[in-house]
Amino acid sequence: MRRLRPKLRSVWVFHVDAGACNGCDIEVLDVLTPFYDVERFGIKLVPTPRQADALLVTGSVNRQAVIGLKRVYEAMPPKPRIVVAIGSCAIAGGIFYDSLSVYGGVDKVLPVHLYIPGCPPRPEAILFGLGQLLGIVNKKVRAEEYIVKEPIKDRGYRGLFTERIYKDVRYFLTKYVGYYDRDEILENVCEVLRESRSIEEVEHRLIAKASSVRDPRLREVYLVLSGFVVEQLRGRSRT
Amino acid sequence: MSYEIPHRWIVTFRYPLEPLPPPKELRGRPIIDPNLCIGCGACVRACPPNAITEEIDISKGIKVVKIFYGRCIFCGRCWEVCPEGAIRLSNEFELATPNKDDLIQYVVLPLHKCVNCGKPTEFTERQVVRVLTMIQELPIERREELRSKILLCRECKASFLSKPMELRGSEVYEKVKA
Amino acid sequence: MVNFWVRRSEGIEREELLRLIDQDIAGLVKEKRVATKNFVVYVVDRDKVVDVVKKLLEYEYTRLSVIAGNDERFFRRDFSLTYIIAFDKQDLYIGIRTYVPPHDLKVKSLAKEVRAAWWHERENRDLYGFEFEGLDDPRKLVLPEYWPENVHPWRKDYPYNKPVADWREGQVDYKPIKEDKIDADVVAFGPYHLVNDEPIHWRLYVKGEVIVDVEHRGFHNWRGIEKIAEGRLTYNQIPFIAERICGICGYTHACAYCQAVESIGRIDIPDRAKYIRTVMLEIERIESHLLWIGIACHILGFDTGFMHSWKIREHIMHLAEVLTGNRKTYGMNLVGGVRRDILGDRLRKAFDYLRFMRAEYRELYNMLISNTIIAKRTRDVGILPRDKAISYGVVGPVARAAGLRIDVRKDHPYAAYKELDFRVPVYSESDVLARTLVRLDEVFESFDIIEQALDRLPRGPILADVGEIPPNSEGVGYVEAPRGEDVHYVRTGLYNKVQRWRVRAPSYANVPSVKEMLIGYRIADAPIIYASVDPCLACTERCIVVKAVDNGRTYSWNQLVELSRKISRRMGL
Repeated sequence: MRRLRPKLRSVWVFHVDAGACNGCDIEVLDVLTPFYDVERFGIKLVPTPRQADALLVTGSVNRQAVIGLKRVYEAMPPKPRIVVAIGSCAIAGGIFYDSLSVYGGVDKVLPVHLYIPGCPPRPEAILFGLGQLLGIVNKKVRAEEYIVKEPIKDRGYRGLFTERIYKDVRYFLTKYVGYYDRDEILENVCEVLRESRSIEEVEHRLIAKASSVRDPRLREVYLVLSGFVVEQLRGRSRT
Repeated sequence: MSYEIPHRWIVTFRYPLEPLPPPKELRGRPIIDPNLCIGCGACVRACPPNAITEEIDISKGIKVVKIFYGRCIFCGRCWEVCPEGAIRLSNEFELATPNKDDLIQYVVLPLHKCVNCGKPTEFTERQVVRVLTMIQELPIERREELRSKILLCRECKASFLSKPMELRGSEVYEKVKA
Repeated sequence: MVNFWVRRSEGIEREELLRLIDQDIAGLVKEKRVATKNFVVYVVDRDKVVDVVKKLLEYEYTRLSVIAGNDERFFRRDFSLTYIIAFDKQDLYIGIRTYVPPHDLKVKSLAKEVRAAWWHERENRDLYGFEFEGLDDPRKLVLPEYWPENVHPWRKDYPYNKPVADWREGQVDYKPIKEDKIDADVVAFGPYHLVNDEPIHWRLYVKGEVIVDVEHRGFHNWRGIEKIAEGRLTYNQIPFIAERICGICGYTHACAYCQAVESIGRIDIPDRAKYIRTVMLEIERIESHLLWIGIACHILGFDTGFMHSWKIREHIMHLAEVLTGNRKTYGMNLVGGVRRDILGDRLRKAFDYLRFMRAEYRELYNMLISNTIIAKRTRDVGILPRDKAISYGVVGPVARAAGLRIDVRKDHPYAAYKELDFRVPVYSESDVLARTLVRLDEVFESFDIIEQALDRLPRGPILADVGEIPPNSEGVGYVEAPRGEDVHYVRTGLYNKVQRWRVRAPSYANVPSVKEMLIGYRIADAPIIYASVDPCLACTERCIVVKAVDNGRTYSWNQLVELSRKISRRMGL
């Protein structure tokens, strides 16, 4: 590939577990396996730091592991001595950041050249990071700052759709299908509530919606939801 | 190339030389939608590694919500608890960077100013608007009492609510009603 | 002496057994508390506790699971030690508790007779400052060597985020105890090595090629997780740190913690959540066993097997990513249920993946069991005798390979395992081959369990309503992790936080027994013997060689693996 101008031709890496949970370590090993095969870029996991160009550090740098980590760093050849922090723990301590036995981040102990976030990072994310060392890819992320000026947008309160019923349905769906599938169903229910004029119409439309979906679980969710929404609306109109 | 079951001999992905779209279920970088965030701080309290933090600057009248992806564990708890649907985990996973400062997102929200004295309170403007829409459904007398609690700062609230109903300054009352 | 397993207990109901135990220890018990439906706590005097524990271990299918220390000075001005004993055939956990005044923390040691207590006692000595009379191992287990004496971080007056002094160049990092006393060469391996990518330090004392004694120093991964949870996190945040105890079997920890809190709060989780938990637990088991098979093949010099098994493993990782959003650390659990549902398209994808993987795995299985080198290298190697296995209280595949029929999924049914049909493979040879075969067979069972569970996914919500969790109550959660029984002891505290959370990962029970397996075998067999317990140190320690050895030869792990592979080559692989 002529157009790629690598910074380094073939990086030999040594992996140090400085108190990781094993998740990142396994993903580092995983990039060697057939699906990812990092050796096609000339990156090789070497067994000793004395042959290594780069150090892949995982883990939150424990107070016992730091002894070994420093010795490994000193054992590396003086150039280029690249240090890559893999995973949230190695970058800033992750969930263990203020524990009594961790330093919380490799950069508290060694100079770091590349950060690969993730908990654990996917093998693709590690490949993307190592690709940056080779100059194959460029970083995509940058700091973002939003200064909010405008007031909040209206959700489109029309018909029977109010903020309270929105919150109630949302809470119900979190418990029924979980946060991931919640938002799509919620948007459909909001649309039904906006369009409807009466409680009977809401019930009718939600049951129609239930019979139109093919997934049996989704059908069940819409049916249970129609009962729940109607009960909420009735209870509210009574008070 | 995709993650579908490979019916081929060579399984190696060509990533990163070719793009490899992740499955849509992936929990990637959490992103705050600045159009929807009201700065309530639910995500800050839920976040297990304290990757999301909030800071109130009363003198500038702003509240800053900050996500640090370096510490984020991508659990999606913020997405689950956000009452507004403002924070979601996107599909982005290519976060590797040589500079740690790239891994931060700030959202700066203006604070609500007390209708009586004009000093900033601890709440954002959007939080106040959201509560005002939510109390629309309450009976009118309850609503009026809540309005005075919401719209005033702590000192004004104390002096206003400690007085009996007849002695409450009528101009404050008018401001609250407006 | 302890007469392990001399009294029959199989076939006795739980109530009947509790009555028998009441009779056995009638004069010694001061108080009896029924904490949850299968966790009973007896309070005894501290000079009687060793006798009571020994008495209970006479029953068949019992194990000393955990010794959980606790600082209860806030409640009653005492420290406490709870010896939790599992009764596998009655679905029962019994805690023997003794209170120890803070000015005199002396307790009789149990480690000589019950080897399972060995690490637990050392850990409690490090973290709480208990003194065990008769414990002949002066080394630290958990804390770094340079940690000051008389500072015990698990005590409640020590803050969770206060670090100790930093390590300085020249301070001791490990002082072996036997090196001067033994007339043998030293082979050190660890802490940092390529294959088993976690730090652990073993010192093998060898005469010629034969290992005569072993010393272990680990806990480089000790992160103080229990203390962070007691200090900073609330009930619903702990499942996420529990998942990060271990990156291979993290979901079992999240499950065990949630089950402990659910048993305390008397929360009935929805059926659908139980099934989804079962599916994820089994996905994790397949993933973990395939990982282990790969590593074992690599150690034996059979790299094709390594690549093949990790290729199949990659499919299960993709499946996990589709179902939960992440390849590892699924983030599926909360107290009261799970967080993501399995909807139709994902369900279909899961069946597709499973069908494909089962075919691929059968191919790998046939390849492995028909390979003579694997059989030759693993048969009659690393034998753990049955009595030693009982004394060390080993769990999981190591126990099942030693002929002990224990499996938490059958013995203490949790999640949806009661309603599913599966077999528990048991072998009696107790060598490395038996452990390998147990794992190989279990993968097939896991495929069956996942397919059954996905077929029968019940209706209903996935997260229960969780009310207030009663403070100052206690319970245990248990899960059959890929490596064995994983026990969490939880005691609830005030302000939505736990007061004590003790994690006993399966490797914590298994790794001490490696000592017995290694002695008498060749150095070249050491890597595969050590790997055969499937050590997961991140779990064990919740906690590089860069170490020179003065006398004798020094092997690095890589040289050892090279040696191991050379033997295979000599056999003609």
